[in-house]
Amino acid sequence: MSVSRHSHDHPVTQLDGANDALDSTPRRKQIMKTITKLVPLIAASALALTACSGGDGDSGSDDSASGGAQKLTFIQGVAGDEFYVTMQCGIEAQAEEVGAEVNTQGPAKFDPTLQKPIVDSVVASQPDAILIAPTDVSAMQAPLKAAADQDIEVVLVDTTVEDPSFAASQISSDNEGGGAAAFEAIQTANPDGGKILVMSTDPGISTVDARVKGFEEAAAADSTFEYLGVQYSHNDTATAAQLITAALAKDPDIIGVFATNTFSAAGTATGVRQADKQDQVTVVGFDAGPDQVGQLKDGTVQALIAQDPYQIGVDGVDQAMAALTGGEVTPKIQTGFHIITAENVDGEGAQYLYKSSC
Amino acid sequence: MSNDSISAKNATADAAGVAADASPTGEPRSEAAVSPDASLLTSGSEGGIGGFFRRIVKVQSFQILLVLLAIFVVFSALAPDTFPTWSNMRLVIQNVSILAVLGIGMTYVIITSGIDLSIGSVLVFSGVIAAKVMQGMGGDGWGTAIVGILVSIVCGVLWGIFNGLLIAKAKVPPLIVTLGTLSGALGLAQVITGGVDIREVPAVLASNIGYGNIPGTTIPTISVIALVLLLILGVVLHKTKFGLYTYAVGSNEESARRVGVKVDRHLIFVYALSGLMAGMAGILSLAQYSTTAIAGQSTTSLAVIAAVVIGGTSLFGGVGTIFGTIVGLFIPAILQNGFVITGVQPFWQQVAIGAVLIVAVYIDQRRRAAASRATKTGKRSLAHLFRR
Amino acid sequence: MSSTTPILEARGLTRSFGAVRALDGADFDVHAGEVVALIGDNGAGKSTMVKALSGNLALDSGTILFNGAEVDLSSPSVASHMGIETVFQDLALAPHLTPPQNMYLGREIPAPGFLGKLGFLDNKTMRARSKVAFDELGATVRSYSSPVGSMSGGQRQAIAIARAVVWAKGVVFLDEPTAALGVVQTKAVLETIRKVRDKGVGVVFISHSMPHVIEVSDRVQVLRLGRRVATFQAKDTSVEELVGAMTGALDAGAKS
Repeated sequence: MSVSRHSHDHPVTQLDGANDALDSTPRRKQIMKTITKLVPLIAASALALTACSGGDGDSGSDDSASGGAQKLTFIQGVAGDEFYVTMQCGIEAQAEEVGAEVNTQGPAKFDPTLQKPIVDSVVASQPDAILIAPTDVSAMQAPLKAAADQDIEVVLVDTTVEDPSFAASQISSDNEGGGAAAFEAIQTANPDGGKILVMSTDPGISTVDARVKGFEEAAAADSTFEYLGVQYSHNDTATAAQLITAALAKDPDIIGVFATNTFSAAGTATGVRQADKQDQVTVVGFDAGPDQVGQLKDGTVQALIAQDPYQIGVDGVDQAMAALTGGEVTPKIQTGFHIITAENVDGEGAQYLYKSSC
Repeated sequence: MSNDSISAKNATADAAGVAADASPTGEPRSEAAVSPDASLLTSGSEGGIGGFFRRIVKVQSFQILLVLLAIFVVFSALAPDTFPTWSNMRLVIQNVSILAVLGIGMTYVIITSGIDLSIGSVLVFSGVIAAKVMQGMGGDGWGTAIVGILVSIVCGVLWGIFNGLLIAKAKVPPLIVTLGTLSGALGLAQVITGGVDIREVPAVLASNIGYGNIPGTTIPTISVIALVLLLILGVVLHKTKFGLYTYAVGSNEESARRVGVKVDRHLIFVYALSGLMAGMAGILSLAQYSTTAIAGQSTTSLAVIAAVVIGGTSLFGGVGTIFGTIVGLFIPAILQNGFVITGVQPFWQQVAIGAVLIVAVYIDQRRRAAASRATKTGKRSLAHLFRR
Repeated sequence: MSSTTPILEARGLTRSFGAVRALDGADFDVHAGEVVALIGDNGAGKSTMVKALSGNLALDSGTILFNGAEVDLSSPSVASHMGIETVFQDLALAPHLTPPQNMYLGREIPAPGFLGKLGFLDNKTMRARSKVAFDELGATVRSYSSPVGSMSGGQRQAIAIARAVVWAKGVVFLDEPTAALGVVQTKAVLETIRKVRDKGVGVVFISHSMPHVIEVSDRVQVLRLGRRVATFQAKDTSVEELVGAMTGALDAGAKS
């Protein structure tokens, strides 16, 4: 089981990274994988993306900046990732609604050294506005500032930069709210309370830390729950499993774990099964890409906290258009979360799952 | 200790030599070499084949330059207002500069028939140590910056020497050594920082070198630094004894050793040079991105290797130019820039680079096949990367 | 001739590769201005001996004397310094380098003045001198700017021999120099060997071709099972006698 999981986990690491503006989690596994391919060619992903992109391939070359529709360019944190694809769906749908053109670009990895040349090239193509998920708060500061200096409206989606004062608007998930939602999911499954734990990746990642903080605060507000603190899996499944079995040895009555990313969730579930406590412990995961949904459907996790990238995209287009047309701009927008469980995953929750194509 | 490898090499060489010499064409041409009369009959074909080989060697980087020009023309026609402008090309050149610095060292390494997968990680490691030192010193001035530059370079050189010692002295295959240091250098960078990027970079470094221009121009400083290094090390490669030995070691390590070239020492120097360039790139990257970008650079080594190979440097050693490497770096950069400007999905860029890379290696193979009528290198495979 | 001190002499050389004793107390000697043929069946230890005497192989035991003085031939450059040069069976040329580059590899002529100190080379002089050397030996090198890898086996053989001869001031070893050559070329190589001998250099000629050995040598030394079993004056011996000594069929009695 763990073998097949690994092959599925590849895009998920990118997803988690994508959501973490300050993310610097180890990507050695990916590097090792890449080395085995001498040619940096990811044909499968290319097919997926071109299939998804539809007809916007030629829209960018139209030189209609001044006269016709507004030209928007969306720069993803990493191309071909479901989180950003869903955001792209929201952007394209809303752009069609308001009559704007969208061209989508993105680096092959969540890596500022790969994203910067793309940003530079996009700026050279002179769009009216750029919607971007910056891959690094420092590295993307100067190139995006340069874009804003050339009268291109910049909207930061999901992630941000050190000094976003040049940006028209910032739209992101309310990560603290996401942590609170995770607690809510555990609370729903265990109305009587009990001992709870967080399985995080590494300290120092702002978005993940915010999720943990939201979870902690929500837990503190309910006295029936005893919060046992955070364990750090370093993004490693085996470490997460060891940590959780050790925690269960110390506190055999743990009833809920919030695992802040896919690897943590997989390892947590493994550890729980090793300790034969799967009927007792509720594991809540984060994000709703195909891998996480797979974990939900096979019972690895009991609930998922889904961000709303589609809404981020919709809001991003709205803010960009408002900035371009002199409308009212909201400088900062936080979007909400949805709790996905086995009960609603095929029903009302289905619309909140991340898409691999529009 | 090294006798086994010597005798093994001799054995294969003998087989190759015999096979080649026993070919029907081998004998009359051989006679031509020493018989003035017979040479009249065959001089045309001798000169022809020698000339053909020479032409192809010289032409490979030229062919690649033509490909680059063709790509440039196509995109200029598709986006005449935005693509062929100085402001756009300036950014392309700026974005290639760090890779170009890495490409210099990689060209030397690949000419010795080695490989260095570690440069991306060494870049990160050097940047991290430099950032730590500069953070510790505090200050935004040149004093701090210069210390950082030196620290980064020293770190790179040390990793390079480490690679070189393992490859030349411990006889561990270069692919394995640098795969190890790829992982090790990145891991240590993460240990030192706890995986959290350092973003305190002296302002003088970022504003002058990172995205600054040569005063009074719009020429990026970082690109001028890269160009100066390219010119110096290009001359060293093509005009000096050090360069000649680099080719000799890659062409036939054993023959170089027999005539007294200190092969082990030379290999250590070459890997140290690659490390030096990675350290240099580390501080340049820090200046350009204002962050150690620990999680980044994961594809850098492969991108640089691809560029070096596209530029006509043979993975089998003995052949290559710095000029080709530069052209090889601009092809992916121009393709990506053009694709973004014309709104093509970025994955197609990777497809295109992959295709160019395969074609380049194919041309290399064909060239060696054409030239190897009597050389043992024609029978070699890339397996040499796995052994010492 | 044999009354003087040999320019190069080996006594009791021993070298094992694992369980195999490639050299088992072998002796050898060559005088200046003399051609000595070294013969023996496959595995007799000829190549091992050549490697040891050219500084390319460490010995387990034994003594090497150069002009009567004991020397330590620990590396090829030590051997080169003494004027000992070798043409190996595999030629040991760098196929991607040009003939002049191969000729001067390891002995480059630096450019005059400051540039030379920086490592720049005087390619013009090296090319001119290579040309002279090749011409002297009657080796017609078609192109001085093409890589030797693009040349025929005969041309490369000529280049390799020319390189060894140019630098050999004391002794030159030729390991099977005619093995893969045609008739005309072989004649040229044998002629070259005589020319080199007449310059006062000791030539060690390793070959399986007994007629060639008798034609060109002054003395013939026979190796069998890692030992010198016989030495003959070439003019007094015959192919049958040599083969007998090599195979051990003839009771080895050294005539010297």
